[in-house]
Amino acid sequence: MTIKLRYWLAILVLPILSSCYPKGAEYNEELDIVYTNYNPDYNFTSKMTYAIPDSVIKIDGDNFLDPDGNLKPEFLTPANSALILNQIKQNMSAYGWTQVPKTSNPDVIILVSTFTTLNLYYYYDWGYWGWWYPGYYPPWGWYYPGYYPPYITGYRSGSVLLQMVDSKAAPGAENVPVEWTAICNGLAEGSDLQSRVQKMIDAAYSQSTYLKH
Amino acid sequence: MKKIIMFLLAIVCVGGVFAQGSFTASYPISIPMGDLSDYIGEPSFRGFTMEFAKRQKKNLDIGLEFSWHTFYERQDKKVFTEGTASISGIQYRYTNSMPLLAGVKYYKETDGNFQFFGGFGLGTLYVNRSTDLGLYRITNETWQFAIRPELGVLFKAGSGVSGVLGAKYYAGFGTDDLDGQSYISINLGLMFSNF
Repeated sequence: MTIKLRYWLAILVLPILSSCYPKGAEYNEELDIVYTNYNPDYNFTSKMTYAIPDSVIKIDGDNFLDPDGNLKPEFLTPANSALILNQIKQNMSAYGWTQVPKTSNPDVIILVSTFTTLNLYYYYDWGYWGWWYPGYYPPWGWYYPGYYPPYITGYRSGSVLLQMVDSKAAPGAENVPVEWTAICNGLAEGSDLQSRVQKMIDAAYSQSTYLKH
Repeated sequence: MKKIIMFLLAIVCVGGVFAQGSFTASYPISIPMGDLSDYIGEPSFRGFTMEFAKRQKKNLDIGLEFSWHTFYERQDKKVFTEGTASISGIQYRYTNSMPLLAGVKYYKETDGNFQFFGGFGLGTLYVNRSTDLGLYRITNETWQFAIRPELGVLFKAGSGVSGVLGAKYYAGFGTDDLDGQSYISINLGLMFSNF
């Protein structure tokens, strides 16, 4: 009797355990993260003015793409650009900075770009078909010779990148120094995306109090 | 997961061939300590313990233990700073600890239905620590040498069946990957024996 009971206990306990395994994020917002970093030797509080472009660029790959041949990259829609830029401007002015045109010799320049990546999954364990497939042998897998099938499942992730550049750094220098950077990263999906981006920009500033005057 | 199930079934089968033996299944509530409690402060209500023992002498058992303890905590959005870098977000923290131990258990002789026991185990803790932050997961996996003293009481409920209540202290020793993980488990279970 006891041996039978042992088996039953082992069999009963496992599904109970897997069903009570702790869960993770349930809402898009819970996957949002904000990363900031800065040059510790840069005196932010001695700078007062900044300039910012009126567009947010959209980056798809490592190389500069120029779809229209006008020497300009792809941009976010004006409405989405404005949403991001206005949020940055609000935070900058709350920290005591003044926006000026780029021709008025600003102390710093803020460059804003976005990245999105579509993460796709095509693969599942071939073992699922082992019960039927003729001659199936366990280590078998599969592949798609020279092409990918349509979307099976996946998600789109995205980042908004803020770079604060010292516009008065040594003229003629090959590289311009980025004194502060912020990355807002999360799922680029869902109806609350815009409000989440705004909240993440706020978080980038609230965790970067050294920018405050 | 498949490997773990096979392993458990193997233990069950091995347990079956013991001449004078016992099998104990218990439910643990675990309280994290030390480095583990710095990482996850909340107690664990998820886990199980299986023990197989062979009676060596009248009051002495030697046996094997396999347990699984899952610790979990959600850390609300806050800023983590290291040097000049700061990162904010919600963290989901998990630690799965699986002790695999060999041990001895000594039972104090009594007249009544209650019997006190003390034991000592030696073996390894498989520890898997994962932190989910945003869309990313950081995993740290390690095997730690571990000792486990325990104290408890057995209540004879009938022929071959006893209730068990006990406390075990699992102490893992630090490795390069992770500091020693330790916690106390309060176990409530049933022991089935053929003596």
